[in-house]
Amino acid sequence: MNADTILAADRLSLWYGDTRALEEITMEVPDRRVTALIGPSGCGKSTLIRCFNRMNDILPGCRIEGRVTFHGQNVYDNGSDPVTLRRRIGMVFQKPNPFPKSIYENVAYGPRVHGVRDRKELDRIVERSLRRAALWDEVKDRLSHSAMSLSGGQQQRLCIARTLAVEPEVILMDEPCSALDPIATAKVEALIGELKEQYCVVIVTHNMQQAGRVSDYTGFMYLGRLIEFGETTQIFESPANELTENYITGRFG
Amino acid sequence: MKDRFHEEMANLKSGVLDMGFFAERMLSDALRALKENDCGLATDVKERKVALSEKNDALEEEAYRIIALYQPVARDMREIACALKTITSVERIGRYGKDIAGVVLSLNDPRPHDLVSALSLPHMGDLVLSMVDDALRAYETGDLSRIAHHSRRDDVIDALRHTIFREGITYMMEDPRTITRCMNYLMVARYLERCADHSCKIAEKVHYMVTGEKIEIR
Repeated sequence: MNADTILAADRLSLWYGDTRALEEITMEVPDRRVTALIGPSGCGKSTLIRCFNRMNDILPGCRIEGRVTFHGQNVYDNGSDPVTLRRRIGMVFQKPNPFPKSIYENVAYGPRVHGVRDRKELDRIVERSLRRAALWDEVKDRLSHSAMSLSGGQQQRLCIARTLAVEPEVILMDEPCSALDPIATAKVEALIGELKEQYCVVIVTHNMQQAGRVSDYTGFMYLGRLIEFGETTQIFESPANELTENYITGRFG
Repeated sequence: MKDRFHEEMANLKSGVLDMGFFAERMLSDALRALKENDCGLATDVKERKVALSEKNDALEEEAYRIIALYQPVARDMREIACALKTITSVERIGRYGKDIAGVVLSLNDPRPHDLVSALSLPHMGDLVLSMVDDALRAYETGDLSRIAHHSRRDDVIDALRHTIFREGITYMMEDPRTITRCMNYLMVARYLERCADHSCKIAEKVHYMVTGEKIEIR
């Protein structure tokens, strides 16, 4: 394993009932880099990142083989606690999903659940998280307003702030921009570029130009398999695999 | 939408080939005009420069448009990169053809041009034309065997130019009245050598287009 690998899958397979959704995935995700997963719908990208913080566990009929390691520890070991894991590996979803509460409460919710009670400490966490999510300047005067009053792009950055509030190490993003307009998308993409200074980011995206713009590494998945994984510039300039080439040049998918 | 994209890529490619063979013909006609002292043909080659330049501008514009509209990646991106570099090289080749036509017109000498053959210019011209032709065919078909020996062929051209240079000096020393003509022919040899270099540049880009690997042919 490389020294800077924070998260890794080792011969990871996953079944939903009788359907095999992932087939012997082996990959290493480097820390403080952006890793993008691309591939046609149903190829298993979302399923794969959901394995990283055990979001698939709750699905009935879901069975997993192989290992997912976080700092070298198998996250599916018996002693491993999914709640702690999900704090350290946060997730941002396709549709912004703020709680129907104030902006402040959205960000403070996680730390509260994890036991932070001191108001000043919460204030600090809220401000720091909103700043890191590049939203502070836009909302600092209306923290008590409902999160639902924000625009879609702001809501998504609020969700990112909410994830950051519990001090994760990895941020998983499942098509974080697909419900946003180009301007909001550009803001989230710029934010991703800043986040990788401090966090490991894994992003699933349908938008190949986006993968090319924001990521350092790209994995191409097809029918549950990881077909090719490498530096983004190499994948987009001269992919080694013909399937990758055909997909990214729009010849199928 | 993708079908439209591939159609536009195919059009770009055939445009580049059309321009490439147009430039190649400028060079071959200029060499024929030189050999046969045909000022009419030389004038005709000179006039083709305008069309050559127009083809270049139109193709460049088309390539930029495709990039802006489709943001191609991988093989498609490499194909456009290759098209853009290739039109630059073939434009230079066509313009050297025009320059050689200019030599024919400036000398405008009805006496037999045995010096042209004595200096092996037609032979050198044939070798260079075949290099240009093979580079363009490789671009057309992706068949790298056509450009597999470009480096060695370019060495032959370089050596030939050197020989022609030495021989030219000998002729000039023997008979100073040949100085003007010899100097012009040495320029022709220099132009041909540059055309071979451009065919190597095209070959490099075709190799990149096909394999994704950047090489240097020298």
